[in-house]
Amino acid sequence: MSIAGVLTILWYALAPFLWLIVAGLALLVTIQAVAHLRGYRLFAYRCLGANLAALAVGLSALWWIPLLTRSQLAYIATVFDWVALLAAVFGVMLVAWLLLHPLSFLLRGAKRDAGSLTASP
Amino acid sequence: MSQHLSDPSSLDRRQFLQWSAAAGAAGLLYATQSHARTLSTDARIVIIGGGAGGMAMANRLARRLDGARISLIEPSETHFYQPGYTLVASGVWRAEQTARPNTQFVPRGVDWVRQPATGIDAANRRVELSDGSQLDYDYLIVASGLQLNYHLIDGMTPELVGSHGIGSVYAGMQAAARTSDAIDTWVAQGGGKGIFTAAATPVKCAGAPLKMTFTTLSRLEASGHRDAFEMEFMAPGLGLFTQPYVDQFVKQRFDEQGVTRRHHYRLSAIDPQAREAEFTFVGPDSEFTSHHQLREQEFRGEGEGERKVVTDYDFIHVVPPMSAPDFVKASDLIAEDGPFRGEWLDVDIHTLQHNRYPEVFGIGDVIGAPINKTAASVKAQAPVVEANLVAQIQGQALPLRHNGYTSCPMITGIGKAMLVEFGYDDNFAFLPSFPFIDPREESWAAWVMKDRMLQPAYYAVLEGQA
Repeated sequence: MSIAGVLTILWYALAPFLWLIVAGLALLVTIQAVAHLRGYRLFAYRCLGANLAALAVGLSALWWIPLLTRSQLAYIATVFDWVALLAAVFGVMLVAWLLLHPLSFLLRGAKRDAGSLTASP
Repeated sequence: MSQHLSDPSSLDRRQFLQWSAAAGAAGLLYATQSHARTLSTDARIVIIGGGAGGMAMANRLARRLDGARISLIEPSETHFYQPGYTLVASGVWRAEQTARPNTQFVPRGVDWVRQPATGIDAANRRVELSDGSQLDYDYLIVASGLQLNYHLIDGMTPELVGSHGIGSVYAGMQAAARTSDAIDTWVAQGGGKGIFTAAATPVKCAGAPLKMTFTTLSRLEASGHRDAFEMEFMAPGLGLFTQPYVDQFVKQRFDEQGVTRRHHYRLSAIDPQAREAEFTFVGPDSEFTSHHQLREQEFRGEGEGERKVVTDYDFIHVVPPMSAPDFVKASDLIAEDGPFRGEWLDVDIHTLQHNRYPEVFGIGDVIGAPINKTAASVKAQAPVVEANLVAQIQGQALPLRHNGYTSCPMITGIGKAMLVEFGYDDNFAFLPSFPFIDPREESWAAWVMKDRMLQPAYYAVLEGQA
């Protein structure tokens, strides 16, 4: 199949979910933007909890992606199956990290603000 | 009647998505390939049938021909995604997922004739319609689909599907859903005998009877009582599938999964009340291409023909004999000799041009071809018919040849499949679209394609975009 054919079919497949993709991207960009405005920097800020949570979300995809496709992990059989699934898992992990990492920064900031308010006379 | 685009200010979400998809696809196509040049013509082109083949041709020709008068004869307001019926009958999809309004696909500028064709007068280039009127044509595309001949099984009607333990994935969207219900009822019984049949004619989606067997096995295994159920597969010939590797694979898998295979039997009668099925032994050399040929062999009494076996069942999956629709069979366009005589449209299986009427082309299930009754075949045939019809209009040699490409995502269980693609040549050799998907392996990726990707691909084909 030609690349044009593959792209056309992909476009038809994704079209019904465009709203979901756009909404997800909007959420991601909003959280990143708000965090940046409050001093968050992607690689400067360190949070083990967010990293571990993103890892857990990614690894959980090994279970729920096959389930979402009405299949099961036991049916991931070929090399291409594993490449596709691991790519999806990595994608989920990355998106989760891009969301959870700035979120944890914002939550810590909120706690700090609340703490300083409580401590003030 | 032509379709009119709605007022853009009143776009609903579905229309917005359709327009987005069309715009995106058009952009992709524009960016990646050159368009064939349009041809100015005042030719009258009639397309019989608005299924996958007819609709794809209507969209392609509406774009390609400038000034042509194109009529699409299609009585149904709804377009059914028939490749989804196996998923509906397997309890994976809801029936409604397979239906969309035809208004979504009929292109602007095409005259949509909302009534069935009842006859073809090929000598006078005329199609007869159900209201008694006639449509004259200069060029005709027969895309009528095929006819399900349940009446050739004594006692069987499509209305029985869903009752008396009878299922049939072919009988339509609702019948597919009722088939799933009938399987659920059988599974809930906790045991009993299930019989899966095949037809002694070419059938659309020839893998569907096998897929139904495999997905039912999945449901029985999921019930935890697989051993309480008997499964039999009754095949009219020695083969279960055209492609030799897949044929052997399926046979081996049936044996491993406890499905008893009986060959050279066709379902000849059914008694729904008694839940009994009668099978006729059609002889050890039976490999048939048409019901006509089978009956002839039976009636000659060759081999052990006419031996009847009556067996009871708790569930039976019925695959009816199939043929071109009666009005095509009654026309001059039907094959007059060869394996498809009296049953299928007489076309050159490579150029898809009629063998005796050069102004007539065929596409889809109706054509007499050894394989090819799938939507995937239509995807491969549509560009061939388009190019060859345009050449015929211009009086040029036909430039394209169909290689018989067909595809069957062979579901081997709910959640896994083999992406089987093959063609006419080299004993139905594989023609894989993707080098990284081995057609001989069961995979999750092939299942995901069947479950999620092929329906969008189908709609792209309908709209002439793929």
